[in-house]
Amino acid sequence: MSLTLLLDVAAGGLLLGGLYALIAVGLNLQYGLMRVLNVAHGEFLMLGGYLTYLLHVEAGVDPLLSLLVTGPVVFGAGVGLHAVLYRRLLRQERTREELEANSLLISFGLLFILQNGALLLWSADIRGYQYLDRPLRAFGTVFPANRVVAFVMAAIVTALLLLFLRRTLAGAAVRALMQDPVGARLMGIRVPRVHALCFGLGAGLAAVSGSLLSMLFELTPFVGLPYTITALVVIILGGLGSVGGSLLGGLLLGVVESLGVYFTAPDLRMVISYGVLALVLVLRPYGLFNPMARRPGQSGQA
Amino acid sequence: MGTPIGRRRFLRVAGGSAAAAVWLPRRAAAQSPVRVGFTLSATGPYAVGAGITQRPNYDLWVEQVNARGGLAVPGQGRRPIQLVEYDDRSEIETAVRLYEKMVTEDKVDLLLPPWGTAMNFAVAPVANKYGYPLIGPTAASLKIADLNLPYFYAVLAQPDAMMGALAAFLTEVKRQQRLNRVAVLHVADLFGLEQQGALMPLLKAGGFEIVEAKSYPLGVKDLTDVLKGIKAKGAEIFVALSYPPDTILATTQAKAVDFSPPVFYTSVGTAFPFFRDRFKASAEGVLGMGAWNPKVPYPGARGYFDAHVAKHKKEPDRWASAFAYATLQILEEAVGKVGLDRTRIKGYLDATRFSTVVGPIKFAKGVNQATPGMVGQWQKGEFEVIWPPERATAKAVVPKPAWA
Repeated sequence: MSLTLLLDVAAGGLLLGGLYALIAVGLNLQYGLMRVLNVAHGEFLMLGGYLTYLLHVEAGVDPLLSLLVTGPVVFGAGVGLHAVLYRRLLRQERTREELEANSLLISFGLLFILQNGALLLWSADIRGYQYLDRPLRAFGTVFPANRVVAFVMAAIVTALLLLFLRRTLAGAAVRALMQDPVGARLMGIRVPRVHALCFGLGAGLAAVSGSLLSMLFELTPFVGLPYTITALVVIILGGLGSVGGSLLGGLLLGVVESLGVYFTAPDLRMVISYGVLALVLVLRPYGLFNPMARRPGQSGQA
Repeated sequence: MGTPIGRRRFLRVAGGSAAAAVWLPRRAAAQSPVRVGFTLSATGPYAVGAGITQRPNYDLWVEQVNARGGLAVPGQGRRPIQLVEYDDRSEIETAVRLYEKMVTEDKVDLLLPPWGTAMNFAVAPVANKYGYPLIGPTAASLKIADLNLPYFYAVLAQPDAMMGALAAFLTEVKRQQRLNRVAVLHVADLFGLEQQGALMPLLKAGGFEIVEAKSYPLGVKDLTDVLKGIKAKGAEIFVALSYPPDTILATTQAKAVDFSPPVFYTSVGTAFPFFRDRFKASAEGVLGMGAWNPKVPYPGARGYFDAHVAKHKKEPDRWASAFAYATLQILEEAVGKVGLDRTRIKGYLDATRFSTVVGPIKFAKGVNQATPGMVGQWQKGEFEVIWPPERATAKAVVPKPAWA
């Protein structure tokens, strides 16, 4: 095969990887900060996708504009859910293991409720719409226009998130809490508030990714879980609690998957993802890009 | 075997007067419903096909039969149909369990099949074990025939006939237009495996150059990389032995990477009106597996089409939907002739040449021999039969117009 085709396929993977990164960053914010592993992450993605679909098909709203609705709405829902489901749990946490186990149970329940709720509301029918599904010619090859647009939007949202974390007081509080929960608390950071913010952000980011994905793929109430798994692979690749690591991990996984599928068969996509995961767990268990790699057991202990 | 419900009713009234005991069972039997059981996937990857091809026809048929007063059973008058139905969640083991349950606990009188080749393959042995005839409208597998299940019947053209028709069509195209380079994708499910197994030797025998042959999993999310590869290899003929979600996926993504070969063939789902409505002008010239449309010259075809539209406010799919309805016509006729004795129903199915909305159907060893493999093509909003020539409702358009 030619070099151009190789680059072409890799670039295609990069486009998808941008979305993986966005999905994973949201999950990582929740986990890195609170040790709450939200396995219903993909369900928030599914909700975002359906919201965009409904806004576009029923109300004629441009899918890109719908991000302005889906992100904030699901962010709000996330903050609300945090208040109802997690606040008490986080207050009562005794050990980290107990917190992780209980939060896992809660999010599994959430997964089933959201999935079956969607099934009741919207049935199992495949939903989809055509949006910019035409070829875009660049660099002597073609890319699906909707993928390029989705990638650019994912990049913009990620950049905004990084700006928020680096440049605002609330962002500084999030980073402080990630680095040293006890110290942050002593400095007067209101921990429950930051937790609620991060849970909402995670859900909102998932919804935005879902809105973008709905431009590319068809929706069913069951689309979420595979993306949760992809996001887990990405955050393990990039390092738990590392936002930058998730970004690089997402892009890397996208490229590896695309090339792997190209050289083997689409049947093996999951095998390739898990293969990468296994390799990383064996060779660099703290993640490829985690600056904290040499400081095991340091983070997140309250 | 008799009907357990009739007997139970009989016992209930047996304590009555002698006169009543003579009179009541007949009347009770006339009113007690015929219980018809099935599972269809309401969720999971098979839900789309089940909800388009089978479900609406089951509902339409029950409504029509009950409007006539019920299913005519010799000696019992007309008995209304009562459905006993479950969601198998696209899980094969769940379907198998539910078919056992419908026979042993629900004690249904008749069974209708679930949707899809692998599903039919799995539940056919259960139906066979209990002696329930099962006429499958969405089963395409020679392996089912190999299982040697005398109570299972398949109305669709099986993979050898279906792929034979496709290969014959492609050979004709090759002769006329010198198109030679073929890429074949198939879904890694019993359906895709068997079709692929039937097609590849035919393509090789036909002297085609096979530039790509790959499988992908059920529920695949992305085929762009594979399609880019196929495009780079200069495929002129694209064949996807696909199921509805991936038929949509492959077409969407072929369009998005600007892969528009002269011959573009996808399988199950191509004939769905949803395909035409989704792709609009881009559907023009897309070829698909099997074909039926209301223009075919068989009695009841147009009436069936109109009744489906009237009841469901949507058109039936242009392939297996009509076959699903035909299986119900066959079952109704058999029961009308021999009653609910399932051994006798089987005898009738084996011996009779049926006239249905898809034309004549005649089983030999459980496989319909009267319907050839067919190829369809979307042309100006209708899915035309374009192969074999003696069944064609229009001439094939090759090369396919570029994506709109």
